[in-house]
Amino acid sequence: MVLEATMICIDNSEWMRNGDYAPSRFQAQADAVNLICGAKTQSNPENTVGVLTMAGKGVRVLVTPTSDLGKILACMHGLEIGGEMNLAAGIQVAQLALKHRQNKKQQQRIIVFAGSPVMHDKKALEMIGKKLKKNSVALDIVNFGEDDGGKTEKLEALLAAVNNNDTSHIVHVPAGPNALSDVLISTPIFTGDGEGGSGFAASAAAAAAGGVSGFEFGVDPNLDPELALALRVSMEEERARQEAAAKQAAEEASKEEKGGEEQDATMTERASEGASEADNKKIEIADDDDTSLQQALAMSMDEPTSSQDLQDTEMSDAAAEDPELALALQLSVQDSTKDSSSQADVSKLLADQSFVSSILASLPGVDPNDPSVKEVLASMQNQSEPQQKQDEDKAPKKEEEK
Amino acid sequence: MACTHDHSCEDHDCSSSWSLYKHIDLSKVTALNEANPGSVKSVFKAWEERLNSTGEHLESNEGDPELLVYIPFTSDVKIKSISIVGGADGTSPSKLRVFINRDGIDFSDAQSMQPVQEWDLVENLHGMLEYQTRYSKFQSVANITLHFPESFGSDTTQIHYIGFKGEATQLKRDVVATIVYEITPNPSDHKTRAETGGGLSHVE
Repeated sequence: MVLEATMICIDNSEWMRNGDYAPSRFQAQADAVNLICGAKTQSNPENTVGVLTMAGKGVRVLVTPTSDLGKILACMHGLEIGGEMNLAAGIQVAQLALKHRQNKKQQQRIIVFAGSPVMHDKKALEMIGKKLKKNSVALDIVNFGEDDGGKTEKLEALLAAVNNNDTSHIVHVPAGPNALSDVLISTPIFTGDGEGGSGFAASAAAAAAGGVSGFEFGVDPNLDPELALALRVSMEEERARQEAAAKQAAEEASKEEKGGEEQDATMTERASEGASEADNKKIEIADDDDTSLQQALAMSMDEPTSSQDLQDTEMSDAAAEDPELALALQLSVQDSTKDSSSQADVSKLLADQSFVSSILASLPGVDPNDPSVKEVLASMQNQSEPQQKQDEDKAPKKEEEK
Repeated sequence: MACTHDHSCEDHDCSSSWSLYKHIDLSKVTALNEANPGSVKSVFKAWEERLNSTGEHLESNEGDPELLVYIPFTSDVKIKSISIVGGADGTSPSKLRVFINRDGIDFSDAQSMQPVQEWDLVENLHGMLEYQTRYSKFQSVANITLHFPESFGSDTTQIHYIGFKGEATQLKRDVVATIVYEITPNPSDHKTRAETGGGLSHVE
């Protein structure tokens, strides 16, 4: 709710015709500007926003700072693309426009969209930055579009010169599937400095992102707290069940590996160092069999609360040692939507020849060429398909036995 | 024009005459080009504490000794003289220019505008010097802006104390801030003392 007067500097140079941001750089920029204006005026009704263009025939102020959103949106129509962006002049004119704002109590802020290459040198930009800082004007820079050698560096230098207590920000938006405005919504440019999201930003995030919502589970806790709570509880239960199943799969795999064999010599050398540590952890997990198995069963029966955290820390310790193990563990705590596939992934990993063989090779006292080991390994591979079902069956079976 | 105190302060009771700091609206005091935002509020204190440098002080940004301090008062005041305690080693300000009853001055305005009065300052580390004002111009000051353009050679300017001597009137220059507009009168908003003191009041 900071009382602020903002000047937005738009880049309407020739470089904005490019289509690497859908539908064109200029359109993406215009959408972002509209969103920013809305967010600013909504967060505090006395905020004012003004717009100027930096390219074309010269720097031109389209609308002086006003709180009338309609006026701002109207002036964005019929803008022409052409010329080269003059960043220094644009910022200086913005500063002048802010100086003559009607309400002197408003804080001053300039938001610059820098899409084309920056012609000025670093020194000149730093001088401008210092002058802004001296007059306590904050500056937000949106770096998108062209990315020639020195541009990022120059803009970072400008930000460093202006920044006073983290009131100024810079955002780099690479070209990609995400719209420019979507990327900006989550940045401090929208959300203000540490105030948390403004209501507009939060709702815009939820609406604009569509299926991929800013909120967990796609439901706004403010709108529907019971549904959000139900979803969260069910996901935690699912996660606990998965971890129990994953633990069982890990135990079985380690038991079988002790009698397994090596199939691929080259993979061993690559992974032997990393694998030995992971291996020790696996043996430890197997040794903690009974206690952890009981924990897992207790978890799947009871409410998944504290014990789940234990599991998480155990697993994360192991994960730190070995990236492959980390991948396996990560898969085991995947989202509920992926739960069946992650189960398959875990067992697939275990069935993966190279992974298993790399671990086997470093097990002490195991001779990979032992025929009995080979047999067990072959049978394990055949079981990899129904193993997933077996895991799920075993869990409830053991519950029944208990 | 300056006067020095060559007597002990107890008989003279200096502290009461430097009491205009009580009428400063501290929440609205701002400074431009200060290194730590908000540190400007620490320079307004009682006369006895003017040399107390353990707390914060106002310092300008590195490499730029200019400072601009905007001070609004809670009521109109008459300012007789001003005292400034700067820092050591050339960080004291060397000039002072003041503007009255204008808000939103920034550096370019301050440099181009004609000040109401300006002084050449001396390094005043003990706070014994005061700079008298042309009193006729300082009769109803709602806010004052102090511009310190340079220091005594250092890269930054430090200020430990700013004091004002004068008197406060009870008048305020502001427009009335709180007005309640009613479409229909609500009797509970309009209880007079007679009614609340006792006895019943009927409203038909």
